[in-house]
Amino acid sequence: MLTELESALNNFIDIYHKYSQDRGNVHALYRDELKRLLEAECPQYIKKKDADTWFKELDINKDNAINFEEFLVLVIKVGVASHEDFHKE
Amino acid sequence: MSSLMECSIETIINIFHQYSTRLGHPDRLNQREFKQMARKELPNFLKKENRKPGAVEDIMEDLDTNGDKDLSFEEFAILVGRLTEASHEEMHKGHPKGKGHSHGPGFGEGQGSCQTQGGHSHSHGGHSHNH
Repeated sequence: MLTELESALNNFIDIYHKYSQDRGNVHALYRDELKRLLEAECPQYIKKKDADTWFKELDINKDNAINFEEFLVLVIKVGVASHEDFHKE
Repeated sequence: MSSLMECSIETIINIFHQYSTRLGHPDRLNQREFKQMARKELPNFLKKENRKPGAVEDIMEDLDTNGDKDLSFEEFAILVGRLTEASHEEMHKGHPKGKGHSHGPGFGEGQGSCQTQGGHSHSHGGHSHNH
């Protein structure tokens, strides 16, 4: 049985596939798919940086899609930003 | 109502603080706190490492990029990424990544308290889900 922390980590895998599975490669988030993910999953983090800017930033290898590893960069960045916000409150 | 992503990140921050506040700096994990956390909170994801003497210390040293012997949340966040990547790879052992994409059980079963809202949800019960 997985712990609360382990389940939280696995949730990121579910979130990625929820939006990446719609079309094309299952391990590729296209521009519109990333936009939908950001709008639904972390709306407060597209206020300062819009979905297109996020896409350019995360698409490290510039293949016009966000692979799973690139998505984890988003998870890390949003995690670090949330932790900062936590201490501001 | 928070999203699955927000809830999962909140869980990670709360667990980090649950250990970081025990000794020394309240927002940093020292070696004892990190070892306790690895043993209690990551028994399936760090199964081998928790049993092998020195392995958890090794992970910590690798994560401690500024070399101050403590882990900040920023340093810990790298472990979050690495373990999620490892879990995803484990789910794909014997399960195709491309055509007929499916996930195996990975490191184990469990849902946690954050739940998907809306219609879509799937478990990783060793069965395929169709895309």
